[in-house]
Amino acid sequence: MPTTKVNLETTDLNNYKYDMSRCIKCKGCYWVEHTYQPGVKFSTRCPSNLWNDFDSYGAFGKMRIGTGLVEKKLDWSPTLLEIVYADPLCGACDVGCKRNLDLEIELSLEAMRVKAVQDGAGPMPAHKKIAQNIASFHNVFGATHANRKQWVTADIKVAKKADVLYFVGCTASYRNKEIAQSTAKILSAAKTPFMLMPDEWCCGNTLQSVGMLDEARELAKRNIEMVKNSGAKTVLLSCAEGYRMWKVEYPKLLNIATDDLGFEVVHLVEFADEALKRGDLKLTRPFETRLTYHDSCSISRLADPWTPWSGERGWMGTVSPPLKRRRGAHGLYAQPRNVINAIPGVQFVEMIRTRENAFCCGAGRGTKEAFPDLASFAAGHRLEEVKEVGAEVLVSACPWCKNNFAQAVKEDGSSVKVMDFSELILASLEA
Amino acid sequence: MAIVKEAYKALEAVVGAKYLSDDPAICEGYRSGPCGYEAGTGYERVMTKIPGAVILPRSTEEVQKIVKICNRYVIPYVPYSTGFYGPRSHPHVENALLVDLKRLNDFEFDEKHWYANLGSGVIYSQFQEECLRRGGYVVIGGGGAQASVIANLIGDGWSPLTHRIGLPHRRILGTEVVLPDGEILRTGSLAVGDDPFWGDGIGPDLRGLLRGYTGLRGCLGIVTKMAVKVLPFQPERLQPTGISPNTALALPEKRVKWVNYIMPSKAAQVKAMYEIGKAEIAGAVTKVPLFWRVIAKAECKEEFWTEWLKETPETIANFHIVRVLLIGFTSEEQMEYDENVLNDIMMELGGQPRRTKPSDESWIKNADSAGMWLMCGSYVSVDYVIETLAQATEHGPVYAELKKKYTPPLMPDHGDPGWFQSFELGYHGYSEFLIYWDQDEDTTGVDHFYLETSKMNIDHRFYTALIGPHQPMYLTGPKYGPNYHEWMLKIKNELDPLWVCHPPVPFAHDEFVDRAPWMHELKTWESPKKSPYPEWLQKQLAAETAAFLAKK
Repeated sequence: MPTTKVNLETTDLNNYKYDMSRCIKCKGCYWVEHTYQPGVKFSTRCPSNLWNDFDSYGAFGKMRIGTGLVEKKLDWSPTLLEIVYADPLCGACDVGCKRNLDLEIELSLEAMRVKAVQDGAGPMPAHKKIAQNIASFHNVFGATHANRKQWVTADIKVAKKADVLYFVGCTASYRNKEIAQSTAKILSAAKTPFMLMPDEWCCGNTLQSVGMLDEARELAKRNIEMVKNSGAKTVLLSCAEGYRMWKVEYPKLLNIATDDLGFEVVHLVEFADEALKRGDLKLTRPFETRLTYHDSCSISRLADPWTPWSGERGWMGTVSPPLKRRRGAHGLYAQPRNVINAIPGVQFVEMIRTRENAFCCGAGRGTKEAFPDLASFAAGHRLEEVKEVGAEVLVSACPWCKNNFAQAVKEDGSSVKVMDFSELILASLEA
Repeated sequence: MAIVKEAYKALEAVVGAKYLSDDPAICEGYRSGPCGYEAGTGYERVMTKIPGAVILPRSTEEVQKIVKICNRYVIPYVPYSTGFYGPRSHPHVENALLVDLKRLNDFEFDEKHWYANLGSGVIYSQFQEECLRRGGYVVIGGGGAQASVIANLIGDGWSPLTHRIGLPHRRILGTEVVLPDGEILRTGSLAVGDDPFWGDGIGPDLRGLLRGYTGLRGCLGIVTKMAVKVLPFQPERLQPTGISPNTALALPEKRVKWVNYIMPSKAAQVKAMYEIGKAEIAGAVTKVPLFWRVIAKAECKEEFWTEWLKETPETIANFHIVRVLLIGFTSEEQMEYDENVLNDIMMELGGQPRRTKPSDESWIKNADSAGMWLMCGSYVSVDYVIETLAQATEHGPVYAELKKKYTPPLMPDHGDPGWFQSFELGYHGYSEFLIYWDQDEDTTGVDHFYLETSKMNIDHRFYTALIGPHQPMYLTGPKYGPNYHEWMLKIKNELDPLWVCHPPVPFAHDEFVDRAPWMHELKTWESPKKSPYPEWLQKQLAAETAAFLAKK
């Protein structure tokens, strides 16, 4: 039986020809997993295909389009670019597909973007502007690089040397300083000294997400080198997108395993959960509210660790050596809930779609910048769910989610309060 | 002929620019292949085309206007709900308008009379959850939890739960159909009022027109709304548990329970089904293909093959399982009674209970049809029959025997006779034969097997459910009915004189056999010299045949 050599490199869309050609239009990528199907309301999990109803905006349509690109049946056009980029790459389709099949949907979608860039058609103009900002100012906003650490106030103690390195990220450094400040205070409360990078640059999330892998790879190398030079054993993040970059995308870009990074990557929700269990963090101040939690995609279904793989595909599409598929089962689902449930006074209410079935806020991975309508639509749709369960406070663990939801609340005129996870913990720390 | 600008503008005026597109990237997303049901078969390669345009109506009125425009401008159109049914639910001629019905997703539950009025975009798992939370239930068809309720009910509409809940047409109540020429037909009590509570209605029962025996694949109009009967279940909550891919419904064991029995022989297996039906117990009684058990246990494709290839024809031939779903519809006591009766039956027949998980991974809410593609990539249910249990249980082995000749390319299944079970408390027996292959292989054997089974059904006098648009009408029509094909043509010509509704279905398989050179050796029947199609379609099909042969 002839075999085909194949690997998981997204730089060649041909690597996903098999996966794209085996999509059966079951739309497991679109519907909430049927076991958890809540009825006719809130029954989908794909922001793109809810925003635009044509099949081409769902992963099942995109798999056909990807096949068409490989077979050179399609030319790049504004519509095709919109189909490829109007998508937060939230991973809902990937875990939905892998409920029953072994298809690499997320990686196929990423590879289509890489191809767009290779062909000179992508990314979108808004993404190119961000790429310029990163190249010139080392942050996505084009803000003055020298101001990156201005969030550090007098009451925050940053160690010169520590086991934990807090990688703050662009958004918490410039736009949502409250997240960085809260995180720093939580670390201190848990008696965990932390250091910062002497010269922190962007994590490269947008670059990686829109298919600019060469630029993203350079940042990955540089950032990893900085951590190794620092001697840190743990890189801690308060941004979900940053967490995914460090834990999954850097290893993927460098063709190494997450385990081979040489240091541990943790998100604040994991750190807080562990600190609570150890007794290092005490959440004793009551926070009287009815609260719900939004699973940010990059710390949940997109967060399974990366392991490089290359091999052969043969009879009936079986691969050798064994490939451990990333099915989104190892996301940080329990940790944030453990922490929330430990806060006195909180009446925690789950949304209708949770964990791997959560509906993405729609902001991430280049969407908010290039397709703000889609981002607003998705956040507005999720906000309806928040209101449906009667929550007063919406908590997420990513500044992208926080900002997008905050905008949706403003547009909606609703009274829902949007908080980052770090702010919630800080609010419930001992006085 | 392409969709002319004037017609496009008229269609745009109906739904708005946002919901109509002829952009190549939009249309490519609606390509039938290379994946899905019947993937990689000759039928898919020869007969399917990407649409010339796609339209997304929101209401029956919009569908009606679209259909009338299609008639005015002679635009072939194809109703499309989820597209899961593979090539037969996709356009078969160039420049067709695909009418994507997903926005027809209205849903109303009549709490008093226990039916739901729903649109073509509503899927089974949505509907089932709405029923379960009210203490009711419906069947999730074998087509899967993601299938459109309407599309599945006018095509198939059964599952293991059919043992208790009954055949699908019994649950179809008042229904709204846009006929191929744009007229609206209301069936059942909807014909004389606004309440769809009654399926039969006054006068002839037109549900046969909707679905024939197992569906006409959209060639006789578009069903836009249907009232579906809901039946009482039991009051306890079936709790979803687990993180994907390991999710399941935890069952309240005193009210709902699956029990597996290993029987000493095929005769005992079939007898057990009879006896369970006779005793009028259980919510489901089934024997599914044995490789499904391995699919359910395997974490990945490779693990499936490692485990499945450990089996042999002997182990499969000697493994006789009966899977029973007990439901305490009225009380825990009723459940206890059913279980005691079941134990008595099994003790008498030598059935040994096997440890069974207190959960449901499929059939109650999540028919895992998608998992069937795991092991090979391509799949089709090549035949299904609803007959007596005696005949249904003979059907599979005959298919398994013929299949040997076509393995490979068909998957080695060690002679598994497929799926059979009791329908309607044993009054009917069901048999379904499923085949699997890798679409990258030469699939000529798949095409040949499919056609040879039609001939085999005739020879063995099996009443195949796929007589309609799945087999050559000029082969099967004269043998069934008889002259089923002539009736079909008369109905088609009466309702769709221009043949704009999903042409050339229901004669598409005839067209395929005539067009595909590798099928000619199997053509042992005569087709009439005179084409059944109107002139425009004759010309278009001739041009497409020529283009296909030139490409070959």
